[in-house]
Amino acid sequence: MAQKKYWKGLEELENTPEHQQIVENEFQQELPVLGDVSDKLLGAETPRRDFLKFLGFSTLAATVAASCEMPVRKAIPYAIKPEDITPGVANFYASSFVDNGDYAAVVVKTREGRPIMVEGNELSSITNGVVSARVIASTLSLYDKARLRQPLVKGNPVDTFEAVDTPIKQALSGAGGAVYLLTGTILSPTTKVVIEQFKSRYPNARHIQYDPVSYNGLALANDATFGRNAIPSYHFEKAKTIFSLGADFLGTWLAPNEFNHGYNLNRKISAKNPAMSKHYQVEAMMSMTGSNADERATCKPSEYGKVAAALYQAVVSGAAPQTGSDKLNRLISSAAKELKNNGLVVCGSNDVNVQIIVNAINNAIGAYGNTISWGATSNYKQGNDKEFVAFVDAMNAGQVGAVFIHGVNPSYDYLDAEKFNSGLAKVGLSVSFAERLDETAEKCQYVVPDHHWLESWGDAEPKSGHYSFIQPTIAPLFKTRAFQDSLLTWAGITDTYHTIFNAYWAGKLGQSAFDKALQDGVIVTEAPVASGSFSGAAVDGAIAAVNAYKGNTDGQYEVLIYESVAIGYGGSHSNNPWLLEMPDPVTRATWDNYICMSYKTAKEKFESELTLHNQVDHKKRVLKVTVNNKEVELPVVVLPGMHNDVIAIAVGYGRSKNVGKAAADLGKNVYHFGRYTGTTFINYNVGTVELTSAFYPVAITQTHHSYEGREIIQEFTLEEFKKDPNFLLNKRKKELGHYTTLHWEGHHEEHGEDKASAGEQALKHDKDFEKNGTLYPVHEKHGIKWGMSIDLNACTGCGACVIACQAENNISVVGKDRVLVAQEMSWIRIDRYFSGNPDDPDTIQTIYQPMLCQHCDNAPCENVCPVSATNHSDEGLNQMAYNRCIGTKYCANNCPYKVRHFNWFDWNGADSFADNLYQDGRRDDINDDITRMVLNPDVTVRSRGVMEKCSFCVQRLQAGKLAAKMEGRPLKDADVQVACQKACAGDCITFGNVNDTESKIYKERYEENSERVFYVLEYLHVLPNISYLSKIRNTDAIVAKDKEQDVFQVKNL
Amino acid sequence: MHLKYESFVREPLITGDKTYAQVTEDICRPIEQKPSKLWYVGFVLSLLFLGFGVFSVFWEVYWGLGTWGINRTVGWGWDITNFVWWVGIGHAGTLISAILLLFRQGWRTGVNRAAEAMTIFAVMCAGQFPIFHMGRVWNAFYVLPLPNTRGPLWPNFNSALLWDVFAISTYFTVSLLFWYSGLVPDFATIRDRAKTKLRKRLYGLASFGWTGTAKNWQRFEALCLVLAGLSTPLVLSVHTIVSFDFATSVIPGWHATIFPPYFVAGAVFSGFAMVQTLLILVRKIYKMEDYITLGHIEAMNKVIVLTGSIVGVAYLTELFMAWYSQVHFEQEAFKYRVFGPYWWAYWAMMTCNVVSPQFFWFKKLRRNIVFTFILSIVVNIGMWFERFVIIVTTLANDFLPSSWTYYSPTWPELGFYLGTFGLFFTCFFLFSKYFPVIAIAEIKFTLKVSGDNYKRDMQRLDAMSTEEFLEEANHAH
Repeated sequence: MAQKKYWKGLEELENTPEHQQIVENEFQQELPVLGDVSDKLLGAETPRRDFLKFLGFSTLAATVAASCEMPVRKAIPYAIKPEDITPGVANFYASSFVDNGDYAAVVVKTREGRPIMVEGNELSSITNGVVSARVIASTLSLYDKARLRQPLVKGNPVDTFEAVDTPIKQALSGAGGAVYLLTGTILSPTTKVVIEQFKSRYPNARHIQYDPVSYNGLALANDATFGRNAIPSYHFEKAKTIFSLGADFLGTWLAPNEFNHGYNLNRKISAKNPAMSKHYQVEAMMSMTGSNADERATCKPSEYGKVAAALYQAVVSGAAPQTGSDKLNRLISSAAKELKNNGLVVCGSNDVNVQIIVNAINNAIGAYGNTISWGATSNYKQGNDKEFVAFVDAMNAGQVGAVFIHGVNPSYDYLDAEKFNSGLAKVGLSVSFAERLDETAEKCQYVVPDHHWLESWGDAEPKSGHYSFIQPTIAPLFKTRAFQDSLLTWAGITDTYHTIFNAYWAGKLGQSAFDKALQDGVIVTEAPVASGSFSGAAVDGAIAAVNAYKGNTDGQYEVLIYESVAIGYGGSHSNNPWLLEMPDPVTRATWDNYICMSYKTAKEKFESELTLHNQVDHKKRVLKVTVNNKEVELPVVVLPGMHNDVIAIAVGYGRSKNVGKAAADLGKNVYHFGRYTGTTFINYNVGTVELTSAFYPVAITQTHHSYEGREIIQEFTLEEFKKDPNFLLNKRKKELGHYTTLHWEGHHEEHGEDKASAGEQALKHDKDFEKNGTLYPVHEKHGIKWGMSIDLNACTGCGACVIACQAENNISVVGKDRVLVAQEMSWIRIDRYFSGNPDDPDTIQTIYQPMLCQHCDNAPCENVCPVSATNHSDEGLNQMAYNRCIGTKYCANNCPYKVRHFNWFDWNGADSFADNLYQDGRRDDINDDITRMVLNPDVTVRSRGVMEKCSFCVQRLQAGKLAAKMEGRPLKDADVQVACQKACAGDCITFGNVNDTESKIYKERYEENSERVFYVLEYLHVLPNISYLSKIRNTDAIVAKDKEQDVFQVKNL
Repeated sequence: MHLKYESFVREPLITGDKTYAQVTEDICRPIEQKPSKLWYVGFVLSLLFLGFGVFSVFWEVYWGLGTWGINRTVGWGWDITNFVWWVGIGHAGTLISAILLLFRQGWRTGVNRAAEAMTIFAVMCAGQFPIFHMGRVWNAFYVLPLPNTRGPLWPNFNSALLWDVFAISTYFTVSLLFWYSGLVPDFATIRDRAKTKLRKRLYGLASFGWTGTAKNWQRFEALCLVLAGLSTPLVLSVHTIVSFDFATSVIPGWHATIFPPYFVAGAVFSGFAMVQTLLILVRKIYKMEDYITLGHIEAMNKVIVLTGSIVGVAYLTELFMAWYSQVHFEQEAFKYRVFGPYWWAYWAMMTCNVVSPQFFWFKKLRRNIVFTFILSIVVNIGMWFERFVIIVTTLANDFLPSSWTYYSPTWPELGFYLGTFGLFFTCFFLFSKYFPVIAIAEIKFTLKVSGDNYKRDMQRLDAMSTEEFLEEANHAH
């Protein structure tokens, strides 16, 4: 079809040559603007049109070239806003952390539907708001990339639950032999109901509980002496004298979340009430609890029984103890006397005989009914070792038709894992509920992953009559199903666990009480009060038995396996980069397990020692440990305070690849060094140690062990403190007196008695020193002035504050390689200093000092920054403007406390460069999209090349101030709680507005505890806003004050 | 302006029978000839070092400062050590050209050109370190007090690091101007001798149309004097301000009022040592023994022994003050400095800086070229250790023992340092090929007074009576 042609006029139709010429000349009239130029321009070799073409092309080209791929940022709006979620506003839910009997009542903070922080629930009468580092870090495990995302059938993922339900049901109905339900300790009453329902459907089903770290000996001893196969309640809050025989009750033993609170209540001291508990510790290794003891001596683990017997005899008859060392004998005799005053003896041994003797001591000192009560039993550990061994035998004998494994991982943590594995292979149906493909799940035919506790409904009865609820805080991230629902499905019951749970509690408490209990998270009902009456029949037998125990002989060592404070028994914590990078409280080592060995043994037998050079050298000698023909090669870390004949190795390491990137092949598994006595599992054995030629780097964050007698720490004995409570205050005044008074203003204080109270003196000292200790004018500090006080007496070094800070402030995990070169990021660190003679483990005294940005009012970091990136707020905060920072590191150099941390690499993908993210293999999952959900949206993720440090949780301060403002009232203490303060198990951190005379911090500094207040490096006149309270030891002498005794000071240079 | 008579006892500054023409010929020869093989080898080697340096810096900027060995406790390592070291080296040039000019030290004319060139290149090298030690170097311009839309937000004028920015940039600018203004008449000489068009053109441009009129010379002299006056306080101020980086801090071992004079003396010390190293090579390679004589070398060795001893006294004073102050942390800082994990660095510093220059009390050794050459290198090793000791060992063992660490450098730090050597020698090789390494015009000033052949003529004057001499001197004009 021909196109119609339109013409504009006759000229075009004619198309005469004149017309053509006109058409060619676009601008028939001369352009007025261009004038003369137009000719040149249009006549140029590249005329205007070409120019425009070039311009267009180059602009386009530049645009294409410059438009590098922009990262796609996913943001999904709440098209329909959920009723209870306001973007930007956090929701808090009471819940409970339960992990194989490790229990804590918690409050979970969620933002936009994501749980990002776990804090303690102060309503709980059991844990009283205490949470361990493991509890806080478990939010990260929720977002663990290694978690299973759907059920597995023979290792292959399946998309529906039917695909597993059908074959499992089939196999169950046809199973020959017994059906075993193998779980960890189950605290949940409703889960027990579900298990009963399952058992009633399958009458040949049996439920056995297994604890990777067993406490069965304790229950059996109680069975022998009280006729009760259970564990009583320990009341550390009532104990004035504590004798711990190898029990790390503040770190790992039984229920540290419960014991910490009570223990620390009696460690608080002031001049008005100069009384504190006395803590004796006799142990084989240097545990965190031992490092906090007032009196400490060592013995071999095989001697725990003998020490207990000696203490028993000393208590009963006053007999002089005859143990190996003088210090131990003295300690036992003195403890025997003092224990009668509200004493409590705990023992970490799982040996029935030892525990029987311990019960006898507790009975003799009248602990039962006082510091130990049978009123409510502790349910944390219900594992039965004998049953488990019988079960493994039954599997191997082919008598087991089906096994369902929940919460435990015997292929990894059973002392004879090979036997368990070979037995498991013979079982017709094996099902695991593991949340990740752990060592046992790998060997099971079916894996039906359970929810993470933050995704679950549930309950717990940690102590009889004390209930605690688990609420889901996020919809399940993956295709997982509650363990209870799986059981119900396979039992053919149509009810879901949630309905059973609701019905159970609504029935028990009534709906409204249940709602209230859910909101509170905890409820206490009247428990049946049962008391036990002690029967000493078994004691003599037990004493005879323990006296017959043989320990190591020459050339042998007793090998002790222990749970580390950071990752505990293992489990999902093994793959938690926060916990793996958390320095061990005592060794300060990260990312590995290692052989802890005494200084003397290491020096004399294994060519490694704590010399000046060795301290800073991360290369550690590798030793080969052989126990029962099982060999493990690990690096040796010298740990002062270890018994010379004992080596200790942490469990929880040496995991398989499927457990996760961080855990895979990190360290070695040493569970097989345990042994079975025929009744219980024991955590030590005798073995040999050989030197190898290899070295292995261990990332230790602190390389110098002595505080060198520097005035950065103040410690006194209880006697000294009672005698002269004002000693420290007077020392401060003496040191800085020249600078607190101007000489022309007279010295009215120097003459005669000072009538002012300690608080008034302290206040005057602080004010005068601020004003007169400088040539410069002083800024008046009106309004809010934030301050913190840290009580060195109550700090146990547990590290909960470190992890809480990490979770709250999005602190980067840097990986082992970077810790090795001291580039770690932790905003709060716990400095640990030893004093004493490393050759003699019984002389060691340990002190912990949390160290974080001191928010100096006269901050040396601020005036050296060339670009004012770090500056002072009018509320006394030393703040960082990350955007302004150019990273000269001058501030970090000039920080006397060395608490500033530099972003050496792009840790979190926040940098402007592409593809330069720091990767080291183990920490890489931390930047996965799922794992990043753990980040706190209130806190900037820092980019490479900027300095960062403690901000006093400024986001919380702002929120607290806003809350007060909305209510139109002045700020109160309760409005702001910083993350470390909230997490502190010992309640040793006080925080608030120092200008408010009603605040706790003001009262602590200037009213209640002024005698103990000191500032680290006060003489510098940097005016820190963090004060410390001196450490008071309930002992005879402070070793660090005596250079003769404190070999650490001399030896280190 | 020069006294026409100089005692016969004074050593000649120019040996050989030199005429003005011969001087021009000698100094311009290397520029007009093709460079030797050795020159090419050296130049290529320098370029390789420079290339490796660029790669090291690229690596650091791309991945982050974590590629260096510095850590949470030791925030400055080789970077600032090298910075201070290079800045110190620069000082000799300015001292020679400015202070010695004002003091009318004739011998400076033989060495001032090369020394000033060294200053400029050393400051260029030094400047790299504070720039690339920044975590976010792309924001380095934040340190400049530019009017801006960020508030406006100004740098922090309290920070010694900011003072550095001003001190170093001023120093560089003035040194460059001084150096260049001295070059102008010499460029004109080369232009006038040029046989190729290109050379004529380029040197013509560089010489700013110098014609050698009396007015030209008069202005030239005036400018030199003004710039010398400006540079003189800079000799003292630059390293004083660099020392403030440390002295204004609170860290024991840094916080010391002795630092400014101690740093300046150290800078002159290391600067002269570096001049020795370079000139001994230059006079050998370009056969300039007649212009850079043993007398020059000896004169500089005297400066070295003087400043080396000042530095030694400073070290001892630091120890004394630590003890005398009775400040526990101060005492500990020096205890760890001397006996701590970095004891080897301290003793290396003491040996190289305090003990070794004492050999120059002996005239024989002062005039021994091989010995001087070796010692000049030893001194600069020592001075590098001094900065390392001050920076690293102080930080490594400071207030809280919990944070003590041990710092060792990594390859990008080493590469960066080698890279600045590459930069320095690349510049120096280009300089020695294209620029007159000895100030032609200035040396001619001294020729008729201190030249060997002219001095011989002095014997006649020496024989004269005072009246006769006065008579002749008065009639000479």
